Amino acid sequence: ASEAFLRQQKAAPNLRKLVYGSVVEADDSDDEEQELGGLFRVSRPQNSKKSQANGVDSSRFDPDTSHNWDLEEMLNSIRDCFVTGKWEEDQD
Amino acid sequence: MASHGLAYDGCNFFRQRLVLSTLSGKRVKIKNIRSKDDNPGLRDFEASLIRLLDKVTNGSRIEINQTGTVLFYQPGLLFGGSVEHDCNLQRSVGYYLEALLMLAPFMKTSLKATLRGVTNDPTDPTVDMLKSTALPLMKKFGIDGEGFDLKVVKRGMAPGGGGEVVFTCPVRRTIRPVQLTDPAKIKRIRGVAYSVRVSPQMANRIVESARGVLNQFIPDIYIYTDHMKGANSGKSPGFGLTLVAETLNGSFLSAEMSSMPQGQGDPMLPEDLGRNCAKLLLEEVHRGGCVDSSNQSLALLLMTLGQQDVSKVLLGPLSPYTIEFLRHIRDFFQLMFKIEVQKPSEDERKGGDKVLMTCVGVGYSNINKTIK
Repeated sequence: ASEAFLRQQKAAPNLRKLVYGSVVEADDSDDEEQELGGLFRVSRPQNSKKSQANGVDSSRFDPDTSHNWDLEEMLNSIRDCFVTGKWEEDQD
Repeated sequence: MASHGLAYDGCNFFRQRLVLSTLSGKRVKIKNIRSKDDNPGLRDFEASLIRLLDKVTNGSRIEINQTGTVLFYQPGLLFGGSVEHDCNLQRSVGYYLEALLMLAPFMKTSLKATLRGVTNDPTDPTVDMLKSTALPLMKKFGIDGEGFDLKVVKRGMAPGGGGEVVFTCPVRRTIRPVQLTDPAKIKRIRGVAYSVRVSPQMANRIVESARGVLNQFIPDIYIYTDHMKGANSGKSPGFGLTLVAETLNGSFLSAEMSSMPQGQGDPMLPEDLGRNCAKLLLEEVHRGGCVDSSNQSLALLLMTLGQQDVSKVLLGPLSPYTIEFLRHIRDFFQLMFKIEVQKPSEDERKGGDKVLMTCVGVGYSNINKTIK
């Protein structure tokens, strides 16, 4: 049981870091403006952070297309979410 | 920095920043709004949102520089009352309504907002979806009672608009903490298939094909057809479908799809739209949780603003919008959530990984509300 707890502890900060930590990481790769002949600076629309900063402001979460809902196994993977599916022992 | 409150770059997550700024009373400065764009500065729909915020608050100070690339916002008091607003047609009413939903419970007087514009478009959550998911969610946090309603008076599709929506919401002094950890099983699926300025048969065709997909799971499906005519049908033709799955615990998961605005993109057969929308609902069920993906941020906000007690909510995978929202909550309210991943066990057929969000509310109380 203690092993399971430790494993869980390890998994938890990952997501936390993803949410709260990556802002700092994204800032690091910012200053890569090259100079051409000392006069012009290449303004690349480089990192994805910039485009993200001016992206479309919508709460819609576009689904990834990796799931093919025509397949029987995909349909089976959510079958227990419905009342018609299998019930747990304790609630019937 | 200190004199200007919080500072941000870029126009994305514009609503989150303004809404959280208004609730927390912290000033916010947003720089570099589309500064590298050919057409720099704020767009009309963002200006329209600012105008709406100005209408529901008292004493807000808003400064925008000449090109519109820098915005400074000092929030005033949330006043509420009766508000009418013509929303810009670039975004649908859902865009404005999402912001209002977050602010409405914390007004001085109960809000009655009449919003005109595009009610259904493919970019934002439509009015029907917010009505069927966001409102029941807010009820769980103790925001309910008489006069908590969202009514579609007229429907208006993009790009012409011409729709009208009335949103009324009572005020609350405090928000109740919640424990939504068990989504339970889905007992029924409801939906609305709407069509305006096209043949009323379109809605029936959508219903037929959507049922075809969903019937393999559950027999209790009812999809209303809503065909609006004449003055209630707005200015542009279009059709669409909103599906809502209700669980035994009263959680709602929804998916929706609208036809592309006239003159943009490929036309879509109603049969395809129905089938794809049904698959989107299955995707949403696969993600699961007690709150669907488009309302995650609303739920997290209400958890944050709850009384000083533990709130728990089980969500599906966090959307990018929600992740950014969590960062903003940290900035404005100094609150970090405890985030735990729950993996489904081997023999369970309940979709993908879930995320359990836990926090202690900041004990926010509505200082605007008059005490009688």
